Amino acid sequence: MVVDSGRTTKIEVKDLTKRFGNLVVLDKINFHVAEGEFLAIVGPTGCGKTTFLNCLSKLIPTSGGDIFIDGDVANPRKHNISFVFQEPTCMPWRTVRQNVAYGMEVKKFPREKLNQKLESILKLVGLTDTADLYPNQVSASMMQRIAVARAFAVNPDLLLMDEPYGQLDVKLRFYLEDELIKLWKTLKSTVIFVTHNIEEAVYVAERILVLSNKPTGIKAEVQVDLPHPRSMIDPEFVTIRKQVTELIRWW
Amino acid sequence: MAYEEVKVQTPLYLKILPVLSICAFFGSWEFIVKTGIVPSTMLAAPSEVIKLFIVKLTDPNPDGAVLSQHAWISLKEAGIGYLLSLLVGLPLGLTMGWFTTVRGLFRPVFELIRPIPPIAWIPLCIFWFGIGLWGKVFIIWIAGIVPCVINAWVGVGMTNPTLIQMARTYGASDWQIFTKICVPSALPMVFGALQIALAYCWTNLVGAELLAADQGLGFLISMGRRLALPQMVVLGMVTVGIGGAVIGVLIDAVEKRLLAGIRR
Ligand SMILES: Nc1ncnc2c1ncn2[C@@H]1O[C@H](COP(=O)(O)OP(=O)(O)OP(=O)(O)O)[C@@H](O)[C@H]1O
Ligand SMILES: [Mg+2]
Repeated sequence: MVVDSGRTTKIEVKDLTKRFGNLVVLDKINFHVAEGEFLAIVGPTGCGKTTFLNCLSKLIPTSGGDIFIDGDVANPRKHNISFVFQEPTCMPWRTVRQNVAYGMEVKKFPREKLNQKLESILKLVGLTDTADLYPNQVSASMMQRIAVARAFAVNPDLLLMDEPYGQLDVKLRFYLEDELIKLWKTLKSTVIFVTHNIEEAVYVAERILVLSNKPTGIKAEVQVDLPHPRSMIDPEFVTIRKQVTELIRWW
Repeated sequence: MAYEEVKVQTPLYLKILPVLSICAFFGSWEFIVKTGIVPSTMLAAPSEVIKLFIVKLTDPNPDGAVLSQHAWISLKEAGIGYLLSLLVGLPLGLTMGWFTTVRGLFRPVFELIRPIPPIAWIPLCIFWFGIGLWGKVFIIWIAGIVPCVINAWVGVGMTNPTLIQMARTYGASDWQIFTKICVPSALPMVFGALQIALAYCWTNLVGAELLAADQGLGFLISMGRRLALPQMVVLGMVTVGIGGAVIGVLIDAVEKRLLAGIRR
């Protein structure tokens, strides 16, 4: 299928609904993601962003509707989905290198390809020097980089990121966001990036979905047609940021 | 971002203190027995115990075996029982922690058996196995299996749920999650179990031997009582104590090496 921009549709979310008992958290959400697109989702606290990603990745069952990858119902055993969680997810008994390799091991990458990929990813995220340390010997930002590297290493059909940099300081955030853009451009993955932070969303994404309060739906969609690397003081950047902020005012 | 091990020097007085406390302990013990504050029919002085120790190295009288023979028998019984309890208890506990079917099947039986003190099995054991090796192995097995199951089970239960979700999103199967995430997560608790189970096994061994044995350290202790030889009782106790401590130190060393990554 081809969407208006001329890119192939990779992900299709149809009438996605999620209820916890009587509480409707997600209410008939519909959208597409193009192949290789970087989509950001912003929404108020507790609106169901994590729930939304959990549904997409099939960690929890949906109450209605479904998600399709390349036209088939999403299935983690079949599709290549990666998830970078809000909290760090390093296995303390594995070294940095072994942690990054985990996803590829589960997906049964052949040894040779795995090692090759592993070294190139480690280099790309600047973890080569610390590859043989254990997670508790590296800093918090490194932990998140490990998770991001592990996620990209499997060449995911869909990469879900749940506020991966939410707990880091501003300077590190910019640095890691640039790194994320670099990874995305190099590996051409399809990314859905969830965040609270409007500036962050405008900085990284090609398109932004703004969610409403519960029952959560898509309130607006904002295209960000600026080239990377972006500058936060560029007037166009500021205009888009203000536009999104305006939409969010009424949360 | 280089990582350097921080070396902590133990101050001299911390090295001397343990030596001092041991000396003081044995010194005052010798003193109270030698001066008659405690009559020698009730407690043997350390020097008497050492004398008997030297004699018992070579002389099988009056209890029928030299010290090393008793120690070897006890060690063998405890070792076999301990290994069997690890072999059954750890896989059982680990799988009970992750697979609901296993938990459903074994939990009721386990909860029933758990509160029975291992020594209570002695009469049945004598019916089943006589007073030979296997009866005691059974008691020790029962004693060791309980901490193994509980620790392994709790250890799996403490697995970080986000790690499990992470594995699921990569498409890992239940079995893969169990072996690659839950079992390594449980390792610190499992090593705790090795220590606790050993202590249980060793104490219950002596209990079993006190009641039903013709050789072993527990038997040495009960012979000491029957023959009214306090130094023999104390010798048996001390050997049990030293034996347990040595094995404990060994397990500690193994644990430190294997868990380098997790504890560092
Ligand atoms: N397992 C559950 N059972 C019942 N209600 C739940 C469950 N999980 C989430 N909810 C509810 O769903 C709503 C959305 O939660 P969710 O964690 O998805 O929000 P979020 O947007 O990710 O929040 P945050 O910005 O804090 O990360 C919340 O109101 C929460 O109470
Ligand atoms: Mg959340």
